[in-house]
This record gives sequence, structure tokens and C-alpha cells, in this order.
Amino acid sequence: MNIGGLLFSPTAPLEDSSQDEQGLVARLASADPAAVGEVYDQHHRAVRAFASRLVGDAAAAEDLVHEVFVALPRAMRGYRFESSLRTFLISIAVNHARHHVRSATRRRAAMSRLALEPEGNSADPEQLQRRKELASLLTRALDSLPLEQRVTFVLCEVEERTSREVAEITGVPEGTVRTRLHHAKKKLREELSQEGVP
Amino acid sequence: MTDDLLKAATRALHDETSAEAGDGRFTRARVMASLHQGKVKRRTRLAFILPIAACLAAGTAWGAATGRLPAVFRAMGQLVGYSSKPSEPKTEAKSAATTPKVARASDAPVPPSPRDERDEPDEHLAVATPEPLKLQPTPSAKPSAAPSSSASFQDADGDLYRLAHEAHFSSHDYARALAGWDAYLQAAPRGRLATEARYNRAICLLRLGRDAEARQALEPFASGKMGYRQTEARDLLDELSR
Repeated sequence: MNIGGLLFSPTAPLEDSSQDEQGLVARLASADPAAVGEVYDQHHRAVRAFASRLVGDAAAAEDLVHEVFVALPRAMRGYRFESSLRTFLISIAVNHARHHVRSATRRRAAMSRLALEPEGNSADPEQLQRRKELASLLTRALDSLPLEQRVTFVLCEVEERTSREVAEITGVPEGTVRTRLHHAKKKLREELSQEGVP
Repeated sequence: MTDDLLKAATRALHDETSAEAGDGRFTRARVMASLHQGKVKRRTRLAFILPIAACLAAGTAWGAATGRLPAVFRAMGQLVGYSSKPSEPKTEAKSAATTPKVARASDAPVPPSPRDERDEPDEHLAVATPEPLKLQPTPSAKPSAAPSSSASFQDADGDLYRLAHEAHFSSHDYARALAGWDAYLQAAPRGRLATEARYNRAICLLRLGRDAEARQALEPFASGKMGYRQTEARDLLDELSR
């Protein structure tokens, strides 16, 4: 994963930074903990949702969210107002994801072997149960992908971001994003067919 | 069929993870605690590093003021196994062992400044003019005069160079200067200032009227082999061949 180019992509900003955000960014750059708290309150849901989708594990996702916001003041040195703060936070999450994805994958594999996959809430209606199973199935299939393809698939398909935005977050050309997405989908189809899910 | 399944699973993952995001208060508290800890760690680190840095700075200033800095650097270089002049330590050790230390480091002559170095070409150009070019050797010109006390300094090479420089450019005692340059080159044939010393030695030979030796000494400079004062050396050789 190209980390260096991730944060300083020369592409045009996708969203104009608001005046408030600019003030917030200035405070973040001076490592003001209150500013980190404000950013957390504004963006933690988006970062947590992305982290959950990427690592497929609630606890690991929380760890990743924690790491993103702790790393934020230092990372702000590289912020150039070329993307929104939320996009910037997602790019930090991508940069810190490798370790969390790996550990979550290991944990899932171990639980799967021990048949300890957590059961869903039996009180959920059948549809909710089905949704949970499908999400779990896709998360396991995602474990078979290289991190770059996994990140691309989650950003493009699960988060429904444009390829341009994904290119900005991951620091690679749009063509590379499309190629990665193509390979990711191909591999996931194979994985899902092997699972034999009706 | 698999496409539909992939789409359905993607949608399911999206919905599942959208629904599960709580208020994140616990993680928020963790973030704030980590930031605080980081700040405390940085302060603690500074509390250790600042006094050490201050000691280093004070030590360096003291070394520079007392003139012991080059000796300290040299000792440190030898300690870590790096020395640009592999043959010199023996010479220094030998001279230090055979002669008593008389002068304190603070009494040592001032090392040649860049200004002094810049002054040299003017003099050399003056040598190259038709005006009184050659000086007769003075009765006091004995090669052993200059370097005799040089070994009493800790920084033997540097002191030899300074003595020769002083004799050459301040006292204009070219015989003593020649002896000084020879002594320096003998002690540090590949020293940092060896090229300059060789050039100055050639000038001394010229001043003392030893034309043949001066010509021989200047030729490597005139040919550009030494990469130093080529033009001046050529001019001097031209003057000599007239």
C-alpha cells in the first residue's frame, strides 16, 4: 500500500473544507486535545463504520479507531486541505489497518476452527439473521484478499465511494483502483461459490 | 447467481456495520487518555534530553574556548575506530612520549584562520612580480629552528602547521618556515593541510633562492595534479624560467 502518496495526492479536493473545519485543522496542528475530541465527535461514526467493514471485527475496529485519533495530531503535519478531514481520517485508518486486519483475520480463523463463531441474537427476525450471516460470510471471504484489494473493495463497494475518492484515499491512480476492484470481486466470487451458500 | 450473492453480502455488510456503530464514548475516553499519556511521555523525555544537550553544548563551548576541542574530536575518532590519518597516531604518541609537555593548551598559537589562508595568494602574486623576488638565506636560517618545540603541544600536527604558518606569514622567516613545513609534512604526509603545506614549502624554497628545488616542488601544482593553486604555480614557474 502506498502510504507516502496517500495523504498528499495532488488531485483536486472533492469537498470544500468549511471555515469551521479550517479552524479545527489549525488547532489540531497545534496538538490541541480538545480539537481531537471535537473531530472525534464529528467523524468517529464514519471512521468506525469503515474500520468495521474493513477488519470485520468490532473490537479490532475500535482499536483501529483509537489508533486513528491518537495518530491524528502528528498526521496533521501532512494535511494539505486537498481532501476533506473525513477522507483524511479514512486514509489514516487505511495506513494503520494492516496490523488490525491481520489480527482480526487470525482470530476469525481460530474461532472458525474451534466452532466458536459468535452466534447472532436469536431474538432477531429471520431476515436480520440472514443479513448477519451474509455479512459474516463476506468478511471471511475478504480475509483471503491482499490488503490493497480488501481496502479497495470495502471503499468502493461497501462504502460506495467513487473510484476517484478511493484513489485519493489510497494514493494510487484510478486505473489501479479499478484493476484492484476487478481482481477483488473475482476472488470474492470464487470464495463465495466455494462456500456453497444458496 | 454468485454476483447476486456478492451484492447481497456487500449490502448486508454495509447495513450490519452501519447499525452497530454506538456512541463510541469508551473509545473517545481511550483516545483522550492516550493523547494525555503521549504528552506526559514527551515532557519526561524532554526533562532527560534537555540537561544532556545542555551539558554537551557547555562541554563543546568549553573545549572550543580552551582549544582542546580538536584533541577531543581526535580522541573520539580513535575511540570509535575512525581516523583519516592512519599513520599519524604513532608519530604523535612518539613525540608526546619523548618530550615533556611545557605549554598549556590555552597558550597554543592561534590556528590559521581562513583570512590568513586567503592572504596567501596576494603574497604569492607579489612573489611572481618582477620586484625583488628572491631573498638571500639569512644566517639564522637553520632547518632545525622551528619544529623543536612543536612536540610539546597536544595537537602535534596542528601546532606544527601553526608554527610554520606563523614563521612564513607573520615573521617572514622563510628558512624557519621551510623547516616548519618539512616538519609538518613529515608528521602528517597525508594530513588535512598537507597540500597547502607543500605549496607553502615551494614558496619558501623560492624565497630562499633554491630555484631548482622550488621548480620541482611547484611542478605538480602547475600541472594540476594537486588540484590547488594551479594558475599561481604556473605563473611562478614562468617567472622562474625567464
